[in-house]
Amino acid sequence: MSVTTNVAEKLLTLPESSAVALQIRAEHYFDVIRGILDNFAVKKELDSIYITSTIPSQSIVNALQVLEIDMSNIYFVDCISQIMMSMASKHEHTIYVESPTMLENLMLKVEYLIKRTEGKNDIIILDSINSLAIHNNTKILSEFLHLLVNNLRAKKAYTVIFSMEEYRSEDISNMLNIVVDETIVAAGE
Amino acid sequence: MAPKVDLSTSTRERCVTGIQGLDNALDGGIPRGNTILVTGSCGTGKTTLSLEFLVHGALDGETCLFISVTEASSKLLTNIIPYDFFEESLIKKGKLIFVDMPVVYERLGLNKLEFSLEEVDVLVRAVADIVKEMDVKRLVIDSITSVCYRLRTQEKIRDFILKIGATLSSLGCTSVLVSEISPAEERYSLFGVEEAIADGIIFMGNLERRGDLLRTLQVVKMRGTQHSRTKYVLDLTSAGVLLVPLLKGGSVAGG
Repeated sequence: MSVTTNVAEKLLTLPESSAVALQIRAEHYFDVIRGILDNFAVKKELDSIYITSTIPSQSIVNALQVLEIDMSNIYFVDCISQIMMSMASKHEHTIYVESPTMLENLMLKVEYLIKRTEGKNDIIILDSINSLAIHNNTKILSEFLHLLVNNLRAKKAYTVIFSMEEYRSEDISNMLNIVVDETIVAAGE
Repeated sequence: MAPKVDLSTSTRERCVTGIQGLDNALDGGIPRGNTILVTGSCGTGKTTLSLEFLVHGALDGETCLFISVTEASSKLLTNIIPYDFFEESLIKKGKLIFVDMPVVYERLGLNKLEFSLEEVDVLVRAVADIVKEMDVKRLVIDSITSVCYRLRTQEKIRDFILKIGATLSSLGCTSVLVSEISPAEERYSLFGVEEAIADGIIFMGNLERRGDLLRTLQVVKMRGTQHSRTKYVLDLTSAGVLLVPLLKGGSVAGG
């Protein structure tokens, strides 16, 4: 089974409101994104809100276009492009946050998109805990995750938090263990 | 069978602001009839918050009045049209009314730079008459600071706010007085009188944290309800004012 299918299948076994840590190797990055956005979210008829602090949203949009993934129900909260001064073109489904240190604004933009897309359930993808950890200390990041996940649970949304295998640390594992229901390792079978 | 325990804190009727985060912080909304001060420096979202409070009231069928002291109301209108929930019919139906204070001054013949105590009474009566005649349930005066500049003495400011608060409350009108302060101010109003007399204070500010500037809101005081006193971060969006608690991260200076 491919990584894409495997991730989607595992997510499909989870109940509504679940929060999941997804351990990913860099080589499987786009397979995982496809598994979530194209397979899982489409099957469940979810709107997808993708928080990117790792690479600019435009790079993900370009990849999704190459993979011919329908973008009509996918929205981005991009907190890395402005700080990288790389906002050449603005995508209509992208909201920008000035910096990955503005964690409250990330929550506010997610809240806004949920309000705007009312009617359908949502999946929120946080890409990634490791890149947010570069810009924020553990205490504020833990507080952010706790608030975000519980707020999303109350809205019956799925939360998927990317954790990159190559950058695993004890702090990050502890932080995730407190808030998630399950940890999925993205791999093929 | 054990007796039922009622944990509700107040039986006072609420004026639901329609701003979800604020209503949660206020345990359901502003106690009806309260006169509250929305205070902060420029660019913190005072006018936007006040306008949204009125639009939600108008959508609920209440007559809402915005008295603009500093800006022409035609200019203000351009700020509310982008709201997803705004309906232009609210203005046509007379549910959302805009009045320019300079026009009121002119009609009352209040042309002097400083008002006397008698003229304060005339102004309060004029506002009360509009509220009574139109059965206004929500009122915003933006800003009370500009009115206070014409009153000058603490005695007259106290007199004005006490009278207008009592009159509007007796008419069942919930009022928001917008107050402007400078960013460095260590009090909630320019003249120091407004904050002591108002039934509630909502303080809006800018918080700088490691180079990021966050818009914040804090309910400092609200008579007639248990309320949160925590600081929230807010965003002004087309879906209205959104609030989330300020992250403390194990203590942040100024936060």
